[in-house]
Amino acid sequence: MPTLADLMARVSFLAAMPAVAGVLITANLLVISRDWRLNIVAFAAQYFFIVLLLTQLIRLEVAAVKGLIGWMICMVFYLTERRAEELSRKERGEEEETPEPAAPSRRWVMSAQASFGLLSGLLLTVAAYTAALRLPLPVVPPNITLACYLLAGLGLLLVGISETPMQVGFGLLSFLSGFDLFYVALEPSLAVAGLLGAVSFLIALAMAYLRAAQAAARRKEGAW
Amino acid sequence: MVAGIILLLVLPLIMGGVVYFLLRWTTVAALLSIATTVLLGLAVTTLPLDRPVRLWGGPPIALGETVTIFGRELVLEEADRMAMAFMFFTAAGIFFLAWRAAPRSPLFPMGLGLLSLFTGALLIRPLIYAALLLEIAAALAVFALQEEGAPPTRGGLRYLTFTTLALPGLLVIHWLLARYALTPDETKWLGAAATLLAFSFALLLGAVPFHTWVTALARDSAPVAGVFVLTVGNAAVWFLLLDFLETAPWLSGHSHFGPLVLSVGLVTVAVGGALASAQRRFGSLLGYATLADNGAALVALGTHTHLGIALIFLLLLVRPFGLGLMAIGLSGLRARSGGGDRFENLRGQGWRSPWSTAALLFGGLSVAGMPVSAGFIGRWALCRSLLPSSPAAALFLLLAGVGVLSSLWRGMAALVARPRSPENRSVVANIPPESHLTAAVIAAAIVAGVVVGLFPQVLAPVTLRMAAGYTFFAP
Repeated sequence: MPTLADLMARVSFLAAMPAVAGVLITANLLVISRDWRLNIVAFAAQYFFIVLLLTQLIRLEVAAVKGLIGWMICMVFYLTERRAEELSRKERGEEEETPEPAAPSRRWVMSAQASFGLLSGLLLTVAAYTAALRLPLPVVPPNITLACYLLAGLGLLLVGISETPMQVGFGLLSFLSGFDLFYVALEPSLAVAGLLGAVSFLIALAMAYLRAAQAAARRKEGAW
Repeated sequence: MVAGIILLLVLPLIMGGVVYFLLRWTTVAALLSIATTVLLGLAVTTLPLDRPVRLWGGPPIALGETVTIFGRELVLEEADRMAMAFMFFTAAGIFFLAWRAAPRSPLFPMGLGLLSLFTGALLIRPLIYAALLLEIAAALAVFALQEEGAPPTRGGLRYLTFTTLALPGLLVIHWLLARYALTPDETKWLGAAATLLAFSFALLLGAVPFHTWVTALARDSAPVAGVFVLTVGNAAVWFLLLDFLETAPWLSGHSHFGPLVLSVGLVTVAVGGALASAQRRFGSLLGYATLADNGAALVALGTHTHLGIALIFLLLLVRPFGLGLMAIGLSGLRARSGGGDRFENLRGQGWRSPWSTAALLFGGLSVAGMPVSAGFIGRWALCRSLLPSSPAAALFLLLAGVGVLSSLWRGMAALVARPRSPENRSVVANIPPESHLTAAVIAAAIVAGVVVGLFPQVLAPVTLRMAAGYTFFAP
């Protein structure tokens, strides 16, 4: 059975610029999309690319633990959204497994919100690239600098343009991941890594709690 | 032998767990929370630091013993001792108000958990761990800030967001200062550290332009939980900042430090006062009044004197009296008006909820810094200290108080307006009156505020003792 190190060796060709490209695509997807399923997949993929980048800076085991925390966060988000959707379906009086009626065929159009997200995401990507060239972060290689700026910038953008707890959560956690990518090179202490992991997980729990409160409040309004 | 520091950290956590399971019985939960915090407050103020003490025949407790956890030191110093006592006693007061204002609120267990984290943040060295504990506390606070059955609180979201944004700066400062210690010729490290520190603490203290979390917290969250964050949480941040300034005299001794902090403080006071006067909701009024008070504390720091530090403590000590009263009043009025706190929606509510109205009035007067209220002594002392050197700053402070007062006046006018029609009067009859216990709690809080306002000498020695622990402005 292959070990973790063997598995990572197989995907090590992705650990430099391909991983940065992966971060760029997933972070932009989070900014553009409002479909929770797509967002959770993108977020899980983002953590995979972050783990790949982290392996350049810290031990594989520590990077893997950070990845595991990220995927557990995705699981928390998935379960919360699933429950919220069930509540909302019950509120509408639909059956548990009733498939949604097929939408009439229409031309694919992008919502104004998604267009704005795409444009601002592109602008921020350019800004992050320029910042990575002009203001390189100390200690870390250039590709990590670019990934840090992308994650922090797009995370902040997501926090700024979102009102819903989950979107804000994705933004905050992306921002923290970007910072963590840089900070592990400065402070490789396991205690700090553990506390940062705890911070990320607590943020996810807080956002899930607020999302659940949102779903419950909507249900209550519906009952009235 | 038991290390007292461990008790300070672990006891609130354990009691928080116990209280969580007893939330159904609000009185028991509140009494346990109050007893825990009062006990810890008394222990931290009375137990000696230099020798172990045996209490009631139990194992000896060494309060001053340094503890090492995961290679990090936890040290209790004289200055931290007073800071912690302030946090424990303030929390006890807020739990007392929450007993009547927020029954079954998760504030009781979460508040105890937050106290443990804030205590840890003050005790742990170096600062990076304190920053991480503050961030964990902010995430935990979201659970207390969310009102049951209400849509997600924007205040909790913003508070967590701004604390998260402050985290990287606080963590990187440690590394920058280590670099500067290795290469003292390269002052760019020092400049970057100072910039990050200013930015991070401006975010945490809610200074303009990073103030939106303060107002959102006051407007959208459970009022008593919001006040817990704005008093105990805010005090923890102030104590951390002062601890940091104590260890970094290069920063407080910089020629730009005083003018910069004074300017930020005055802008915060001006924005808080001006926007408070335009509010039409009591929650928003509470938020902007708090913003003006935050600015006043920054102005006190900007005076660059030892007296200024004492004034910061005085402002922090009197703040819970005003905000606590406003919170219990706001909770009572919101509960009786279906959750709204707009002036027009509360028209005539003063006749139905006289005690909540009185709490809101006395709390508002205190936050505005009006005479015969606890808030007055802090504002007045600050104005007097500012008058000789910068009378314009003193004028700003007074005008901010007038701004808060004008909005409070409009709110009160709506609250005590007579119901317009017989239909309105019939609604009045259906609402049960405020309970005697609630009235007694509010009356006790009002009396406490007035007593402090009339006899400021009660608090003066405490503030001087707290300020004595900080020597960075001493001549």
